[in-house]
Amino acid sequence: MSASKVGEGDNQIVQGATPKQTGYPAAGLGDPAAGLGDPLGVIPPGSPGMALQDLKGIVGEERARRGCSEDAVDGVEPDLVVEPQSIEEASEVLMLAHRAGMAVIPRGAGTKLHWGNPPSRVDLTVGTSGLNQVLEHAAGDLVVRVQAGTPIEQLQTELAEAGQRLALDPPEPGATVGGIIAANASGPLRHRFGTARDQLIGITCMLPNGKVAKSGGKVVKNVAGYDLGKLFTGSLGTLGLLVEAIFRLHPVPAARRTVVIRGIGDPATLGDAVQRFLHSSLVPAALEFSWEAEGMLVAMFEGIAPGVEAQAKTAVDLLGPYGDVQVFDEQEQRRWWEEWAGRHSGRPLPETPLPEGGEGETVVLKVGVVPTELPHVLRRVVSLRDRSPGVVPRLTGHAGCGITFVELTGDEQRLVEAIGEIRHFARGRGGSAVVRRAPHQIKQAVEVWGPVGDALPLMRRVKEQFDPDGIMSPGRFVGGI
Amino acid sequence: MAIPAFDTHHAPEMKLIDDCVHCGFCLPTCPTYVLFGEEMDSPRGRVYLMREAHEGELLNDTMVRHWDLCLGCLACVTACPSGVQYDKLIMSTRQQVERRYRRSLQDRFFRELVYTFFPYPSRLRVMTAPLAFYQRTIRGMTVRSGIFRRLPQRLRMMEELMPEIPLRREKIPAWTPARGTERRKVGVLLGCVQRVFFPHVNAATVRILSSEGCSVAAPEGQGCCGALSEHVGREEEALRFARRTIDIFQRSGVDHVIVNVAGCGTMMKDYGYLLRDDPVYADRAKRFSETVRDVSEFLQELGPVAERHPLPISAVYHDACHLAHGQQIRKQPRQTLQQIPGLELKEVPREREICCGSAGTYNLLEPEPGQKLGERKARNVLDAKAQLLVTANPGCHLQIQSSLKRMGQTLPMAHVVELVDASIRGAPVESLLRR
Amino acid sequence: MENRDRLIQKMKTAVGPDGLVLEREQLRTYECDGLTSYRVIPSLVILPESAEEVRNAVRVCHEEGVPFVARGSGTGLSGGALPVEQGVLIVLARMRRILEVDIPNQRVVVEPGVINLWVTQEVAPEGYYYAPDPSSQLVCSIGGNVAENSGGAHCLKYGFTTNHVTALEVVLPDGEMVHLGGKAPDSPGYDLVGAFVGSEGTLGIATKITLRIVRKPEVVRTLLAAFPSTDEAGGAVSGIIGAGIVPAAIEMMDPLSIEAAEAAVHAGYPMDAGAILIAELDGPEAEVEHQFEEVEKICHENHSTEIRIAKDDDERILMWKGRKAAFAAMGRISPDYYVQDGVIPRTALPEVLREIARLAEDGGLRVANVFHAGDGNLHPLVLYDAEIEGEAERAEEVAGEILQICLDHGGSITGEHGVGFDKKKYMDKMFTAEDLDTMQRLRCAFDPSNLCNPGKVFPTPRLCGEVPGPYRMHPVERAGLAERL
Repeated sequence: MSASKVGEGDNQIVQGATPKQTGYPAAGLGDPAAGLGDPLGVIPPGSPGMALQDLKGIVGEERARRGCSEDAVDGVEPDLVVEPQSIEEASEVLMLAHRAGMAVIPRGAGTKLHWGNPPSRVDLTVGTSGLNQVLEHAAGDLVVRVQAGTPIEQLQTELAEAGQRLALDPPEPGATVGGIIAANASGPLRHRFGTARDQLIGITCMLPNGKVAKSGGKVVKNVAGYDLGKLFTGSLGTLGLLVEAIFRLHPVPAARRTVVIRGIGDPATLGDAVQRFLHSSLVPAALEFSWEAEGMLVAMFEGIAPGVEAQAKTAVDLLGPYGDVQVFDEQEQRRWWEEWAGRHSGRPLPETPLPEGGEGETVVLKVGVVPTELPHVLRRVVSLRDRSPGVVPRLTGHAGCGITFVELTGDEQRLVEAIGEIRHFARGRGGSAVVRRAPHQIKQAVEVWGPVGDALPLMRRVKEQFDPDGIMSPGRFVGGI
Repeated sequence: MAIPAFDTHHAPEMKLIDDCVHCGFCLPTCPTYVLFGEEMDSPRGRVYLMREAHEGELLNDTMVRHWDLCLGCLACVTACPSGVQYDKLIMSTRQQVERRYRRSLQDRFFRELVYTFFPYPSRLRVMTAPLAFYQRTIRGMTVRSGIFRRLPQRLRMMEELMPEIPLRREKIPAWTPARGTERRKVGVLLGCVQRVFFPHVNAATVRILSSEGCSVAAPEGQGCCGALSEHVGREEEALRFARRTIDIFQRSGVDHVIVNVAGCGTMMKDYGYLLRDDPVYADRAKRFSETVRDVSEFLQELGPVAERHPLPISAVYHDACHLAHGQQIRKQPRQTLQQIPGLELKEVPREREICCGSAGTYNLLEPEPGQKLGERKARNVLDAKAQLLVTANPGCHLQIQSSLKRMGQTLPMAHVVELVDASIRGAPVESLLRR
Repeated sequence: MENRDRLIQKMKTAVGPDGLVLEREQLRTYECDGLTSYRVIPSLVILPESAEEVRNAVRVCHEEGVPFVARGSGTGLSGGALPVEQGVLIVLARMRRILEVDIPNQRVVVEPGVINLWVTQEVAPEGYYYAPDPSSQLVCSIGGNVAENSGGAHCLKYGFTTNHVTALEVVLPDGEMVHLGGKAPDSPGYDLVGAFVGSEGTLGIATKITLRIVRKPEVVRTLLAAFPSTDEAGGAVSGIIGAGIVPAAIEMMDPLSIEAAEAAVHAGYPMDAGAILIAELDGPEAEVEHQFEEVEKICHENHSTEIRIAKDDDERILMWKGRKAAFAAMGRISPDYYVQDGVIPRTALPEVLREIARLAEDGGLRVANVFHAGDGNLHPLVLYDAEIEGEAERAEEVAGEILQICLDHGGSITGEHGVGFDKKKYMDKMFTAEDLDTMQRLRCAFDPSNLCNPGKVFPTPRLCGEVPGPYRMHPVERAGLAERL
């Protein structure tokens, strides 16, 4: 086949959604199906019926089926769904998909499938529920090797038996280890321990052609070779399928104390309080905030009992001037953090109560700025209420890291404008605003990720190297990757 | 035609070169690496050039240049974890260069000029009268008219470094008795530059030693200890000075030889090594070296007995390289100063280990890096925000003073012994600040 | 040589005449880094003073098809900065400005030639420090740290360079400049910062590095404990970790390394100990005090013969000085030595040390051991005398066998020093061909022409044009952005 040059306007994803724009992002991506998908003008995809039989041949009768509406990713339904039970099966499945040119989306528990842009195509969903074993827990070395489809809760339970844990607490219930890595999901503990990238010391991944490769290893200290683990973290299934992960662990703390400051009057005061915290000698495991009419700051200390008590006391003294301070007891503490997790769990929107005065759609943005910019973001978002009537904001976030989750409720048009405005503002402050959750028509209108900067061509080249045919989660990532 | 770089007389020893494991710990502490950021101008690089020379590379302009740029501050010796004796290596390398390398006419002329005068106090003194006159009259005009700026850089630098030549001549008696019971018999090196430009420092030295119960001999006929010559590899000249110094002091029958100049102290402590091949002097030199003491070192060894009167002043102490790195004497001057009641001792806030750029005659021979380093040190010294700068080396004194002047700043300066002397005599603080 | 002359001319324009080193004697001083076993004279050495000059120089290399290698302070121990034949060496030592200090957001932006310790010195007055502290931190550059993902004694608790770099400005091997990551967290897109850190200079040259600084802990407590042997010391370490304590650092030294360090630094190490542990705890006072008592108890339980607690900062620095100077100090007890760097699971420590001792005996050589006991990163120092026939080769053999032991126990061939040139040959013992091929895909994305520090890390380079299997039109081709030649 000759390498005919394609005309300029043809591939809008590559040409259009480039990062150098200022002002509000381009209105649309155009036809998502014209994206990096459909790379194979040459070999026609096999018919779903034939493929299903082949898949069943690999994984058995029960583990391959047709897709249905429940399997849809942002409204795009896969033709087929398969659940391999081993690395060998998964490899064969991917090889088949590769030969047939099927677009593949990996899926763990599906708790974060709605992150990212709607895929341009989904032919096959590869579920990892069959890869759910904790393979090796070397408690003496504080290291665990686990299959990617293992739910993190199951892992934590097993680790707790040796008094250890994985210092990652993303709120999505039932989430698998692989999904957490692929989505770079995190929770309040990131304040002290970092995100998945900081806990991961080795991975085994499967490339779109079924080949298996690993990097890192079973020891925490390791600089041999490139760190593919970091590359895959947050890659949202666009580079390959994660099959195994090796994590470094931490001891389960003996005690916890949570200190709450309520009634913080304005964003600047909240910012000050956060700064005071960050520059003190306190070492909280988590530092969260929320804003709804007024501000609340929550700090959690972990460690040995005398240590956390002393820190809690210091925190109370330190933050007294900023609002009403209270130290939670065991029960209150547990309840508070459970509620927090529930609120951020990403459960279907109708379940979470709408804020007062809000009606219409709800979107969640994740805004990342440096901590000193936090009050500015707060003020800007809160002022939306005045400038955009009908849009009701609610905010929470990891105060110490500078991450805010902005929940906006209102009518579609206004929300699209609000997202554009917030994104522009965040960008101007050296940060980013990513759409965490939204109905897919809004996602299509605003593009989930926002501008990425001058590294986008490089990112495309990385994608091309790992997935030359563009069959892994096409269209979900930045720049339409 | 290939001429090997080194001959066999005291070439830098391969054994010592092999001590270098190439770790690079010396780099950040080397003044020329700090200035230029090039491997060739770091101790590691210079040792490597010596290795290259042994392996057959020729002694050419490039190599010599990099060795010439070395200040000989020995900060690398302090920093080196492997114990590379860089001092011995650079010493023998310079000797080789001096003997086997033909410098440019201009270079040779200037060096001869410096070495015809500086190591000879009597000749220096001959220059002082006209210099003193020049400083107090014509200089202003020369500077203002701009003639000054047209002088070659090295001459300009020399001029800038000259202190105010004292008009009064201070004569040190050949022998000063001890005050009270005699604890030790010591001799004092009067030096060359020190004697001519800072005679009051020698006088103060003798006074405090006497107050501490020492009888002090200042033998006639002594001259330069040879440090300045050794520093640039003029081996024969240096050894001549060394032998004479040994003779004079050993004749005087003293227990210790006290020195108030950092560079001279290092040199004299090295006499044993330098004269190791001399059948007549080898032993004597070794024994002589063992009697040499820096004045602060000696005072602490002895333990002070004379009463110290308060000197309420803040003073920042600057480590002379040849005291700190050359002799590893850092605590004793500070202890000596802290024994003065009312004195607030401050430290240079940063880059303490980096040379001020004086380095013997370096600031004359290499004015550009010398100047840059001088200004750097001056700025750091000013940041200590002290009333007075205390040093243990006339070279540092001159260098920092001229750098400050160039920056439009002043700061009173004194030698450690001047403060001790003022404290013992009960002199007022103002006497030190008037300088 | 015509090509070289043209290169020199272009470079003179790129970085100015002061930025070039041309004379043979001078070039030779750059022929190796901290690892002197391999020497290659570069064709040319460039000393740029700005990111723009780096970019110009790389562009010239790309135009001329000349390979290039980046170098910081030249203290690396795996030959990562070993020049390439006929290649250019780009030395970042003159780019040593600290560009920005943002205490409220705990970020410092530096040029690559900035020395590691300077970062801490810069922010120390504000009560902060930069956590990754390799033993060479007095001289090693941040750029080098980024290339090697350097650790240090305190990385057990605080992590490595990769956990402390949030953004990079990088000159890619074709001369393009990109900005990866950001000061703010979670920049969208692939974590290319994470991919770049530890890539040993094979993906590009970092010209600006954004670092995360950390608040100084409320208290730091350091102790030195002597034990009858490494077994007991290892037992103490296991006990400490098992008690749920995560020390800021925990180092072990054996008798030979104690001897050398003491000769160099005179820190007063107990010369008769079979092993010493230097343990440091830091954090909030109440917690540290309690844990420290626990650590002391555990040392006693493991038959510690002597415990010394640092009374003040000076004493603490002195305790560490010996450990930090340990490698270079080997020069005092042996004419030559070979530093090895391997990792094993911590629980395998006692057995591995025994195996190393056996190897040493069989090889007729002495091996001193210094290591990060907390994370199993060993630094066996194989002592030898190059003057004695065959010893150098035997030393290398022993060093290689030690690596195999590490691999046999499920460890790694390098914990800190990197693969560089020295350990390429062991990469296929640790990784499969598929693993290495996959890693190199990353390299192809950054450096398709294989000009950027070629011949390092991977034993066999991957040809970047290849995509195995039937021909498929590259999506970028279809978009008209590239043509396949």
